[in-house]
Amino acid sequence: MSDGTNTSPKRGGFQFKVRGPQDFYGGLALIVVAILAVIASSNLPGQQGFAFGPGTAPRIFAGMLAFVGAVVALTGLLVDGPKIERFAIKGPTYVVAAILLFAAMIRGISLGPIHIPALGLIISTYTAFIVSIMGSTEMRWVESLIAAACMTLFCVILFVYLLGLPFQLWPWY
Amino acid sequence: MTDLLANLALGFSVAANPYNLMFCLLGAFVGTLVGVLPGVGTVATVAMLLPITFGLPPVGALIMLAGIYYGAQYGGSTTSILVNIPGEATSVVTCLDGHQMAKQGRAGPALSIAALGSFFAGCVATVLVAALGAPLTSVALMFGPAEYFSLMVLGMIFAVVLAKGSVLKAVAMILLGLLLSMVGSDLETGAGRMTFDIPELSDGIGFANVAMGLFGFAEIIRNLEMSKEGREIVNAKITGLMPTRQDLIDSSGAIARGTVLGSILGILPGGGAVVASFAAYTFEKRMSKHPERFGRGAIQGVAAPESANNAAAQTAFIPLLTLGIPPNAVMALMVGAMTIHGIVPGPQVMIKQPELFWGMIASMWLGNLMLVVINLPLVGIWVSLLRVPYRLLFPSIIVFCCIGIYSINNAPADVLIAAMFGLVGYWLVKHDFEPAPLVLAFVLGPLMEENLRRAMLIARGDPTVFATRPISAGLLFVAITLLVLAMLPMLKKKRDEVFVESEN
Repeated sequence: MSDGTNTSPKRGGFQFKVRGPQDFYGGLALIVVAILAVIASSNLPGQQGFAFGPGTAPRIFAGMLAFVGAVVALTGLLVDGPKIERFAIKGPTYVVAAILLFAAMIRGISLGPIHIPALGLIISTYTAFIVSIMGSTEMRWVESLIAAACMTLFCVILFVYLLGLPFQLWPWY
Repeated sequence: MTDLLANLALGFSVAANPYNLMFCLLGAFVGTLVGVLPGVGTVATVAMLLPITFGLPPVGALIMLAGIYYGAQYGGSTTSILVNIPGEATSVVTCLDGHQMAKQGRAGPALSIAALGSFFAGCVATVLVAALGAPLTSVALMFGPAEYFSLMVLGMIFAVVLAKGSVLKAVAMILLGLLLSMVGSDLETGAGRMTFDIPELSDGIGFANVAMGLFGFAEIIRNLEMSKEGREIVNAKITGLMPTRQDLIDSSGAIARGTVLGSILGILPGGGAVVASFAAYTFEKRMSKHPERFGRGAIQGVAAPESANNAAAQTAFIPLLTLGIPPNAVMALMVGAMTIHGIVPGPQVMIKQPELFWGMIASMWLGNLMLVVINLPLVGIWVSLLRVPYRLLFPSIIVFCCIGIYSINNAPADVLIAAMFGLVGYWLVKHDFEPAPLVLAFVLGPLMEENLRRAMLIARGDPTVFATRPISAGLLFVAITLLVLAMLPMLKKKRDEVFVESEN
């Protein structure tokens, strides 16, 4: 089913070999999601008389998803398909870290022993910029520090002064 | 006819209001500005800029958003031509001949033909939207829940059939999108569904978060892992914007055909603009007496897809404004924006708020005009923007998105959700799943479920209602036929062909 190379269908006995890893693992993941959805909606009342309950539709669609997922996984097992590309680690880590830091710093957060006070828009934006730029392989410090300052200034002018959105700018008011 | 003229006159009187004109101009300008940035698609642009329209009056906000939309679309073609990086999926084919023209020193004519073609297509599509608006609205009023449900099924099937790659995987994305849309409070009973007792999820997952994650963050993560092999920008000074007389003659037919094809495909739900540009390009190549020129800088190869995607971008408003059903992800964002302003999209808009409906249509035309006016003189600025290295661009996009998402509800949790969807999007790309059908289903989900439940209730639990009501049966029949055809391997090959042609 995939756009990959289906050149030489292998003959011979039945083999337990994943031929299209993209489809196989992709399909499996869909089944897992479907099962999670069924578990998550198990506490909801279903069909009542001829009226749908809140749980009816999620169960129907989760069931269909599980079925389609199974078919996708099966094609992955039986039909040759492309390999899964390697997942990069560095880029996604820094990008996600930057976003998480922004979310944590803008309003402050208390998670167990970690306590971050609300640091306001300026510090959050600057930090998120610097952290995300560290995910790039071509980072240069001086340039980045200046660019971060410019972008922060731009965002403050746009969101706070031009659009008048209520942002806390600094850790103090 | 007189009605139409009277309505358009009303529309222009609204759109020509100085404030609205300014919003339209601002939208087109900002849209182009962001759309030019490589790696920021139309959906991401509109999602990013959505928060800045919240403070405006409803008419102004929608006019500005529409302007942003066209601007983003146009910005995408500029990058295609000058850098060979399509800013949008809709301008992928424009790269083929547009960039070749630029390399031959004809970037100016390519850009201006793209603008003029888009403008012409925009004019035609505006009239079409105005003309079809009223009759379709009356059709919409005849629709009951069963018909609406079937129509949405049809829309999703379109999205599946038109998606790139495996039909089955696209169906899976639709189902995943539907499931995700059900997270949150149940519309009838208010029971929290699949919320895992997380209070932030009780209102459901915000659409902007999903769109920004899947299209914005995921795209950045993906771009980061690509090697830094240079984007080649056409450095030669762009001189002579005006196309020659021969260019105009060569491209006029292509523009007309692209417009027709785009207008038709745009109305169909499921990502019309992308398909329209591919279809127009392929069609033009088949029609041409010199197909060998395509891919080597044929001006028709720029004119046809650019006219088609603009026409489609605009006629996509028809199902949204008349039926209340967004045919693609951008229109879905429009629904979000309308809801925030207290407008329920659908047939009622035209009846209850004619000034909004017609004002928006009139502003579509004005927006297209402004694109021509601001883009051609400002090409130099857009080009210099392209010289900003990606290593500085992507952190800027990230912080901008973060602030934008946060400002919608002042909720840090929304930013977290977007980050999560960024990772999900990255995973999906690695497994060759397309995010577009997911987003469409995510938006249509609540509407679809509501209508499904209502239809079942009215029919006293009898599911045959969808097959016994004629309009609904017809829609479902078309949907099933399409799906079966798409599953047939023959057609699948054909579909791939259309897309493969764009890749070499």
